[in-house]
Amino acid sequence: MPSESALAAGLSELMVLRLLREQEMYGYEIVQAIAARTRQVLTPGEGVIYPLLHALEKDRLLKSRRKTVVGRSRIYYSLTARGAKRLSAMTDHWKALTGAVGAVLHAV
Amino acid sequence: MRFEDLRETLLKGGIAPRHVRRYLAELSEHLDDLTEKQRAQGYDREDAELRARALLGEDRELAAAMLEQKSLRSITARVPWAIFGILPPFAATAAMLVPLGVLVMTGKVLGFLEKGAARPHWFELLATATAACANLVFFPLASVLFVALVARHRLSITWALVAVAIPLLLFLHSVAEFTIPGHPGIRIGVGMAPIFLPKGWKTAIADWPIVTAQYVLALLPLVWLARRRLTAR
Repeated sequence: MPSESALAAGLSELMVLRLLREQEMYGYEIVQAIAARTRQVLTPGEGVIYPLLHALEKDRLLKSRRKTVVGRSRIYYSLTARGAKRLSAMTDHWKALTGAVGAVLHAV
Repeated sequence: MRFEDLRETLLKGGIAPRHVRRYLAELSEHLDDLTEKQRAQGYDREDAELRARALLGEDRELAAAMLEQKSLRSITARVPWAIFGILPPFAATAAMLVPLGVLVMTGKVLGFLEKGAARPHWFELLATATAACANLVFFPLASVLFVALVARHRLSITWALVAVAIPLLLFLHSVAEFTIPGHPGIRIGVGMAPIFLPKGWKTAIADWPIVTAQYVLALLPLVWLARRRLTAR
């Protein structure tokens, strides 16, 4: 069974991959999008998202490029084909996990 | 400079410098975005900056998040013994072999290295200069490279000492010698005579001016690093 911190790390990874499947984003946008979509239930630390992004890029799940928008130069991240596969596997795993936890909770 | 303490913590923690540089650039951009958001909510510049910095996270948290990602550690931090213990003699040999190789190729193409071939004076001068350059420029440059690597990765100065000492103890040196007129022959190459063996120290005594210069030039970057570390304390 995954530990609580491993679960949280996996959750962050899942959300980042899912958001970047839709469009490329930079770090600040990703943090804001997670907070908005989870209605502030999950608010990743503003600055701590970047190590995760770097690690995912190192694993070739993401790719990055520097882009200047409205005079501001930023690093945009997007999903790779390998990242899409990983997202699919993680989504299936997450659904199985929530289903299993739900079954236990409803049985109580 | 923004995040200077964080930079030092991450480099000392073994994170690859390119990841550190990019992380700090991204944090800086993120901080600007947060500050703008606070300003838009009506805070004056000073308050907005303070609130933004607090939202971004403490240096301790920012460092911990990066240090947790083991895959972002540099090869230099992961296997310093290989980089500073094994690579230096090869790097020093390459630094001396490459210029001599170019010289030998030139000599072969022009036919100056054939037995009994006439060699122009300029080629002998060029060969002597190349060997001197290999000993006194390229060899110390290898030392500069390893010391710079230690400085960049904030590693212990011991690693720099190891990287500089090994090639010096092995006493790698370039040679370009010509026989006397009328007896054609040329010797161009890289020699190794470990200084701790009789052959080594005898050669070192015979060639003491070049050996002294080579040792001093190779040790200078180390002195620079030691001074820099002492000043930073």
